[in-house]
Amino acid sequence: MNPSDVAQSALPLANADVSLLALFWQAHWIVKAVMLGLLACSVWVWAIAIDKLILFSRTRRAMDRFEQAFWSGQSIEELYRSLAARPTHSMAALFVAAMREWKRSFESQGKSFAGLQMRIEKVMNVTIAREVERLERRLLVLATVGSAGPFVGLFGTVWGIMSSFQSIAASKNTSLAVVAPGIAEALFATAVGLIAAIPATIFYNKFISEVNRQSQRLEGFADEFAAILSRQIDERA
Amino acid sequence: MRRALIISTVAHAVAIGWGLVSFSTRLHEPVPVESMPIDIISADQLSKITAGAKTGDKDKAKPLVEKIAEPKPVDDPMGKISEKKEITTASAPEPPPKPVEKPPEKKPEPKPVEKQPEPKPKDEAKPVEKKPEPKVDPIAEALKKDEAKKPKPKAEARTPPPQPQQPKQEQKFDATRIAALLDKRDPQRQAASGAALNMAPSLGTARGNAAQLSQSELDALRARLMQLWNPPVGNENPEELIVRVRIQLTPDGKLSGPPMVLTSGRSVRFQTARDSAIRAVFRAQPYNMLRKETYETWKDIEVTFDPRDMFRG
Repeated sequence: MNPSDVAQSALPLANADVSLLALFWQAHWIVKAVMLGLLACSVWVWAIAIDKLILFSRTRRAMDRFEQAFWSGQSIEELYRSLAARPTHSMAALFVAAMREWKRSFESQGKSFAGLQMRIEKVMNVTIAREVERLERRLLVLATVGSAGPFVGLFGTVWGIMSSFQSIAASKNTSLAVVAPGIAEALFATAVGLIAAIPATIFYNKFISEVNRQSQRLEGFADEFAAILSRQIDERA
Repeated sequence: MRRALIISTVAHAVAIGWGLVSFSTRLHEPVPVESMPIDIISADQLSKITAGAKTGDKDKAKPLVEKIAEPKPVDDPMGKISEKKEITTASAPEPPPKPVEKPPEKKPEPKPVEKQPEPKPKDEAKPVEKKPEPKVDPIAEALKKDEAKKPKPKAEARTPPPQPQQPKQEQKFDATRIAALLDKRDPQRQAASGAALNMAPSLGTARGNAAQLSQSELDALRARLMQLWNPPVGNENPEELIVRVRIQLTPDGKLSGPPMVLTSGRSVRFQTARDSAIRAVFRAQPYNMLRKETYETWKDIEVTFDPRDMFRG
């Protein structure tokens, strides 16, 4: 091969732009779609993570405050009246639901004590399930992105490497300068996939354990409150 | 949730923007090394590099020849020609021209009478011969240059005209050519001579010389001498057995004088090796492996007898 030809063909490739934007624009449209999808996933994952972080800390603080108020010796009736005025969450919601069922049973004419215990437990179970569902909502997105993100990025990489090998075959030139841009852009897809997937997995694990802890706490409170109400029922019966 | 989404989007935008700046600049730092095309040529090809000018034409393999004589390249083809040092050897290609009608022609000397008849070797001829008339020479030179330049250089290069045969016009002063008389080139320069005139030299080196001692000739010479050399056996201090011998040869491959030993030593083994080397130099005659065309390169050579070379593959 003529050395001057080599020099001329290598020149534009050597000057090829390797910035992130150039890597993106030079890519095949499938690779572009993969990258854009993974970028959207990453944005969504971080949005969920921020949302959940705020929600969990707020829930934890609300639980602490409620437990403090509940065990402070304050009258349960007063507590119920102050909480029932506005919508509540987590432990307060549990308390309000149980108290509402309690009051409804007492204020009705029949004074049906027979199934009250069971009804209160059911109401509290339903409330716990609803609260846990609220905490767990969208966590599945994190799990999905965390597990599928690398695969999607790998798909983009494989596709990009395929097309870069096709360009090698077309140009019949195996110099690294010909191969490198295609491989770089292909690997960029995997990088984006990993960037999306790694935080998703970490946040998913963290949030799942957080949800478990908070639901345990709710169930513990539900059991304690059910015991208190059960004692009241037995005393009044 | 919307606030979290906004925060996430902004954070991603910031991260990507940072990546655009840092990632791109970091990768641009390794500047690609300028590639240097390398042609691999054999030693034989190297020795056949055409005599020419560095600025010459690559396609036409024609050396720069400014006058007809024994091929003799010059260092700087662009320098000024001085006729003083010019020598005509016996093997000049053209017959001696007529003395009367050719003062301003392209022959090295306007005075053919004193030079042409006797074949002098170069070395003696140089100091002796001087230009008698320096006035005529620049004009003759200028006229000669004009002659060579008038035809188109391209066409001229391919078919060198048979200029030496045709007689030149009479020397006369021409005012229109006065610019050509002002030769600004180096006065110390010698004219590049050759078999045919060529003012458009090809690409090559001024010292280029197709007739050089090739590697195979050197190897043949070395193999012959090593075959005949019998240094004392033993493997201690082989470096003391190294003998360098200067050999002067005649064109027919015989020694023109006794070989001169350039290394010295006192040990008996060295003296044995030295004597053996001298015997080898004598016995190796005639040196048929050296071509006559390259005589200039081997008429005076130094040969190193090294026992370590004998046992190398």
